[in-house]
Amino acid sequence: MSTIEILFFFLSALAVFSAIMVLVSKNPVHSVLWLIAVFFAISGHYVLLNAQFLAIVNLIVYAGAIMVLFLFVIMLMNLNSETEPQKHIWMKLAGVISGGCFLMMLISLVRQAVEMGGRKAMMAEGDTGLIKNLGKVLFSEYVVPFEITSVLFLSAMVGAVVIGKKN
Amino acid sequence: MNAIIVSALLGVVMMFSGIIVKNRSYHTVIAAGGLLLLLLANLLNSYGIWVIKVDTHNMFNFEQFGMYFNTIAIAATLIYVLLSGKAVEKIGSYSADYYALIFFVLCGVSILSAFNSLLILFLGIEILTIPLYILTGADKRNLKSNEASLKYFLMGCFSTGIMLMGVTLIYGGTGSFILGESKVPESALMPKTSFLEIAGMILLFVSMCFKVSAAPFHFWTPDVYDGAPGVFTSFMATIVKAAGFIAFVRLFDQHTELLGPSWKILLSFVIIATLLVGNITAVFQQSVKRMLAYSSIAQAGFMLFSLYGANDLAREGILLYSVAYSLATIGIFAVLIKMKDYTFEGFNGLAKTQPVLALSTAICLLSLAGIPLTAGFFAKYYMLASAVKAGGSLWLVVIAVLFAAVSVYYYFRVIQAMYFKDGEPETEEITGPFKLGLLVVAALVILVGIFPSLVLNWFYF
Repeated sequence: MSTIEILFFFLSALAVFSAIMVLVSKNPVHSVLWLIAVFFAISGHYVLLNAQFLAIVNLIVYAGAIMVLFLFVIMLMNLNSETEPQKHIWMKLAGVISGGCFLMMLISLVRQAVEMGGRKAMMAEGDTGLIKNLGKVLFSEYVVPFEITSVLFLSAMVGAVVIGKKN
Repeated sequence: MNAIIVSALLGVVMMFSGIIVKNRSYHTVIAAGGLLLLLLANLLNSYGIWVIKVDTHNMFNFEQFGMYFNTIAIAATLIYVLLSGKAVEKIGSYSADYYALIFFVLCGVSILSAFNSLLILFLGIEILTIPLYILTGADKRNLKSNEASLKYFLMGCFSTGIMLMGVTLIYGGTGSFILGESKVPESALMPKTSFLEIAGMILLFVSMCFKVSAAPFHFWTPDVYDGAPGVFTSFMATIVKAAGFIAFVRLFDQHTELLGPSWKILLSFVIIATLLVGNITAVFQQSVKRMLAYSSIAQAGFMLFSLYGANDLAREGILLYSVAYSLATIGIFAVLIKMKDYTFEGFNGLAKTQPVLALSTAICLLSLAGIPLTAGFFAKYYMLASAVKAGGSLWLVVIAVLFAAVSVYYYFRVIQAMYFKDGEPETEEITGPFKLGLLVVAALVILVGIFPSLVLNWFYF
């Protein structure tokens, strides 16, 4: 096994384990901390795929900004096991069944997608994730969606101001 | 392309006019003028005159169908602004910004009527819905409006997440965002369609059902439509919903053979569930506004037939349905906003005090129920005819007709309250131009009902 393969399996195991811990830990603050571990593991994968830009952006945006926001909200709401609303048993059952159906679909998807078996990720060699290529594609082929995104941000900004200001 | 650019620019113009012009009734005038300009720009586009020509790398497909739908949506918005502009001014001190958001929604509508790439579909859906979250919560002092806004936001984010997952899977399967294009080299080892693509299509289907409020993904609709200020409910339930269906039809027009025979089974399940939930629950409502929310779910069930048919009749039918449904619902909501009491009792005796309002509401309700000589009849007829033409689904059509009969009950309850019950309905001040506008809407509903070819012939020019 090469170093890259060892790293890949280590990061994958870390990501899956942390994701499970997000779900099972009782304390919401612990959940958020485990989620940060998930993001770091995924960023590690991006680095392995030679996508440094994506790795850094993932860390800055998700592990940085969004997680801080999550922590603030959780601390402000002062969540703990006593204040947790009691869900009806039928609700839980329905959740388990629908979630299980979705899991079954995804598993059968991976099993039936035979063409995936022959393909291999380009470890440390592909150059699609470099910021130079990203910039080139963004301002040539994808320039129209890029401009349209500005309308989206503008409308969200107008909305935030309208909602936030006093009447 | 013209509609996308001009509507985004007009949104900016409306924002600035909020700073410069202080008198709120001028905002409505500016918005109406802007809509006329937008209509003109879009009509020029359909005759081949472009503001600018951009190479979109096949991400857009500006066809006549989409441009004609833009014309319908913009014209319906114009009627809506002229009828209910006064109510928009009353909601808060930001009427110019509300109009700006409406223009951004129209930008989303024109993106959705022309997308050819899943990336653009995602952007269009987001531009369509994000302004709506704000419009839903525009009545800031009203707790119900706040709740509706938050609920809509959370459910909308959830369904957007499902859509992104679907887009990702399809991209993983084909290597391309463009609809129906695959960059995966064909070889003997590979199956023709990737299983990833099929799973992605199913997820896209689920999230689009969320957006057009088809059962079993309809749970947000009644609360949001009920909690939002009446004027904006009217906009959401008509133009936005029709745009969602146009996107839905364009997305699933060609690719359904991927899903095989199970596609029709899945779709007929959703259609029956939507018709059942919408119609049966609407029967038990006490508030006319909430009844209209459920009726909009029921109407979505009929519009889903255009996906089931997926032929020429379905394409013509969805355009006709957009016209009929938008006109009638805008008319009814314009009257509803003027009422002080939103329950059925609130309408008691309206025919005596306000005969013009009662008459036009009755015509619009008849159209929603699908009574002959109104626009709603031919709209429903085209939908069902497309399903019959597609073949093998007569039982589904029979069920739909039965549910249409159920819908007659709750629409006639309003008519009965207006004409055959005594009461003193309290309304806000009704002006002459408002009555005239309502009569024009009612006349249009009847005109389209007698000559549906008026709408459809335009499509082929």
